[in-house]
Amino acid sequence: MSKNKAEEKKRSKQSGLDEGGSRNSGEKEERFHAWADAIRSGNRRDLARAITLVESTRPDDLEYAQQLLELLLPYTGGADRIGVSGVPGVGKSTFIDTLGKELIADGRKVAVLTVDPSSPLSGGSILGDKTRMVEFSCMEEAFIRPSPAGKTLGGVARKTREAMLMCESAGYDVVIIETVGTGQAEWQVSSMVDLFAVLMMSNAGDSLQGIKRGILEMADIILVNKADGNLKEAAELTANEYRNAMKLMDNGDCATAVHTCSALDPESVRLCWRHFTGALSQRKNDSRFENRRYAQLLQWIRSPAEDSLQQILQNSTSRSVLEDLADQVHNKKITPLHAGLVYRRNIVSEFADLDRHSKVPN
Amino acid sequence: MNVNKKPLYTSRDLYNRGFEESAPGSFPFRRGPYKTMYTQRPWTIRQYAGFSTADETNAFYRKALNAGQKGLSVAFDLATHRGYDSDHPRVEGDVGKSGVAIDTVEDMIRLFDGIPLDEVSVSMTMNGAVLPVMACFIVAAEEQGVSQEQLAGTIQNDILKEFMVRNTYIYPPAPSMTIVSDIMAFTHRKMPRFNSISVSGYHMQEAGATPLQELAFTIADGLAYLDAARAAGLHVDDVAPRVSFFFAIGMDFLTEVAKLRAARELWATLVRERFNPENEKSLLLRMHCQTSGWSLTAQDPLNNVVRTTIEALAGVFGGTQSLHTNSYDEALSLPTDAAARIARNTQLILQNETGLCQFIDPFAGSYAIESLTADMVSEALEIIREVDALGGMVRAIEQGMPQRRIQESAASRQAVIDSGDEVIVGMNTYRSDDAPELDVFDVDNKKVLVQQKKKLERIRSQRDPEAVRRGLDAVMEVARGDHPAGSLLETMVDVARARATLGEMSVALEDIWGRHRAGQSTVTGAYRKSYQNKTEFMELVGEVEAFAHREGRRPRMLVVKLGQDGHDRGARIVAAAFADIGFDVDLGPLFLTPAEAARQAMENDVHVVGVSTLAGAHKTLIPALIEELKKEGAGDIAVVAGGVIPEKDSEWLKNNGVLEIFGPGAGILSAARSVLQCIAVRGTGETDR
Repeated sequence: MSKNKAEEKKRSKQSGLDEGGSRNSGEKEERFHAWADAIRSGNRRDLARAITLVESTRPDDLEYAQQLLELLLPYTGGADRIGVSGVPGVGKSTFIDTLGKELIADGRKVAVLTVDPSSPLSGGSILGDKTRMVEFSCMEEAFIRPSPAGKTLGGVARKTREAMLMCESAGYDVVIIETVGTGQAEWQVSSMVDLFAVLMMSNAGDSLQGIKRGILEMADIILVNKADGNLKEAAELTANEYRNAMKLMDNGDCATAVHTCSALDPESVRLCWRHFTGALSQRKNDSRFENRRYAQLLQWIRSPAEDSLQQILQNSTSRSVLEDLADQVHNKKITPLHAGLVYRRNIVSEFADLDRHSKVPN
Repeated sequence: MNVNKKPLYTSRDLYNRGFEESAPGSFPFRRGPYKTMYTQRPWTIRQYAGFSTADETNAFYRKALNAGQKGLSVAFDLATHRGYDSDHPRVEGDVGKSGVAIDTVEDMIRLFDGIPLDEVSVSMTMNGAVLPVMACFIVAAEEQGVSQEQLAGTIQNDILKEFMVRNTYIYPPAPSMTIVSDIMAFTHRKMPRFNSISVSGYHMQEAGATPLQELAFTIADGLAYLDAARAAGLHVDDVAPRVSFFFAIGMDFLTEVAKLRAARELWATLVRERFNPENEKSLLLRMHCQTSGWSLTAQDPLNNVVRTTIEALAGVFGGTQSLHTNSYDEALSLPTDAAARIARNTQLILQNETGLCQFIDPFAGSYAIESLTADMVSEALEIIREVDALGGMVRAIEQGMPQRRIQESAASRQAVIDSGDEVIVGMNTYRSDDAPELDVFDVDNKKVLVQQKKKLERIRSQRDPEAVRRGLDAVMEVARGDHPAGSLLETMVDVARARATLGEMSVALEDIWGRHRAGQSTVTGAYRKSYQNKTEFMELVGEVEAFAHREGRRPRMLVVKLGQDGHDRGARIVAAAFADIGFDVDLGPLFLTPAEAARQAMENDVHVVGVSTLAGAHKTLIPALIEELKKEGAGDIAVVAGGVIPEKDSEWLKNNGVLEIFGPGAGILSAARSVLQCIAVRGTGETDR
């Protein structure tokens, strides 16, 4: 077998497909069914591989991932989807560790997906530090998967959403999505969870600078962490400051709740969880929960179109077309409307090209 | 991050720096802490050693003392360092490996059997489990008929550098600092001849710090300990005279001489300025030095005799009070008898054949040395001021500042060595094909484990369990702060007498304070930057991109250390450099078991696990990891290893499923390339599906 062949074989194996699989669609389908069953029965290795598949940037993998997901879709949607964000050092991992252990004690199954930034220079990354989650991460009812954000932000959203669905179908009834609060991935994450919690340090002066204001606007709940020992009072003061600040930037839906928290203290974390579930069940009583998930669904459907349009608008071809047309308008050769219509035609045709090459099923 | 050097120094350099002559034994002690220095008594030859059981180490000590060594320096195994008894499931691969296994007073008694503790001074490298080890030592001496007042020696007791670089901590920083002050207070009251702390820069330089960084952070650590003692109600003159220091000596000869001279001047100046002691002894910086283990090469190892000699000489010119010289085979394993003898003889030759001991600070007045010394002082002061601005060393470490600086230096150094810009003879240049192969020393870890378990069983069955329980309760009461004037060490001594084990004593405190887990923040970018887009680097980057394009994701590697081995310079450099090359890297938490590492590799679905091993446990832990991967249905994940792995073990590991071994001195670029090949060409590994 040539080296390339061997690689191809290995690859298709990774995606759960045999070499001949693509030629024999029946066999391929069988393999997908087996894979989906294994995921649903709780086989961790198969779940791990499935997430690798949704993370893949290969066009054929994109197609396979959709096929696999479609088998799993009926079993998704049942988890509490929680986003947790905050600057490095604020205690996210400790919080998730404590929360995870408490939830498991209550009989839940907890999946944690963390999104870590990739270096813009090398494209590589240092991923998910599980140091503070060693005990939790080894529990039978836990699954933790750090993923690199990669170079394109649109990618993070799709991959994380799909990984979340995979976890739900595997029976995880709490899915926590953790991001480093630098403002990059948070918007994406807040648009896929039922509740977005932001951890803050006490001593507001510092932390307000550390975290992007925009992230606070997305937050459903702000937790002022490290309210332990002699920092308790400072944390309360900080929480009050945030309460005042949040009143000023009320997000319409409902005012952001602010609480103090000690991630080291299981009791305190339990209380936070009660705040989470309290907010969720309130929203479930009226239509807010459903509305939010529906809006997210729409966003999810719209985003491939929007992302591609964004890419086309920003790529070099359409930029040079724009510059060219601008020159002509500037030199009074054609009207702005004429130029605008040419520009539109150009973009529409690029958009159509994109679709012709897309491998996603009809 | 080093002092600038000039090709030529003249009297103008001294003049411009406001050079003032001083005398040895006088402020600021640049020329030495004592008036007479080696002319009256040469430095103490103090070789750091320990392995296997107490009996075997004892035999080694006795031989060494008969062969001219003057003081002892105990190396404990990693299980002991981290407060575990030998029969704890987490330490299986570590017992007796890179130090001696100590579980109870009985082990300590055997360790010093036939060695008069009122005559031989004993230095103990212990930081995490410092209380139980001190307690066992005191009780062992007691049963030899030697009282606490008579004991001479040093306990390392330097927890800050553990959080910074060495990682053999147990408890979180705040209670750990309480332990440090507790020991300072106890020794002040009861052990007047014992150094209560050895503020150590050694491990910083070994982790990649430049000599300047080592100097600055070590002095800053020392000041932090004096602050802690003051906060605990001790007067500076109660503690400062019993503070000692420990530096590394690397190959940068003149810089190292200058560093040691600068250290004394800095300490004297800053202690006077900040603590205003009445006793002049509080200003004296007394030091132990050790030649650099990192500077040794696994290739053509006899070259290391030369390196060690040069480094030893720098220690002597710098005016050290005691010295450890490394053995030439230490890049491969613990020293063999032959290698240990040459190391000891290196010092005996310097003392007896060169006539060096007839002179006090012979480099004084040299334009270059005095200028470098003054530059070291002023530039270290700048770093210390930065630390001050962050709120002192404890805060700076919490914020990761010294760690980041050291990691950056380590990555840049690695890059200049990998690229051949810095020449290491026999390793990256002038390689020899006919370098002799050496015998290496190996500890039969399984045998030690069996013996330790047997001894533990016997002691647990023979002691009075009620007395042990009461004793441990007393320890916990003090730790909880129930007795404001209580001494942790005193209660530990009582319970050690009752034959509580080291693990039990440690757990008693862990129950109250918890076990510390440090985050793994890692500095990326430095390696790439040092490479400046050189072709060899960019080619590899291209290969990684091609892999990512082909596979749909970047090559992903879990870099992990297993067991209690916390030496993570290599792991961190590999993680950072591989990320710089374009890998996605999971850097595993320290102290994982093979099962925990396998679970993480499987869930993260990495292509490859890279195990970094420096403490000799590779033959136990790596096969266990491969076994656990298979159990997780992830037998297709490749395993490679790096670190201190002797040639014969490499073969053995390869036969047991390890794909590639990268010994000391393997370049990062070539390692990355071969890892990439491993995972690209790897056949269809059978999986559970």
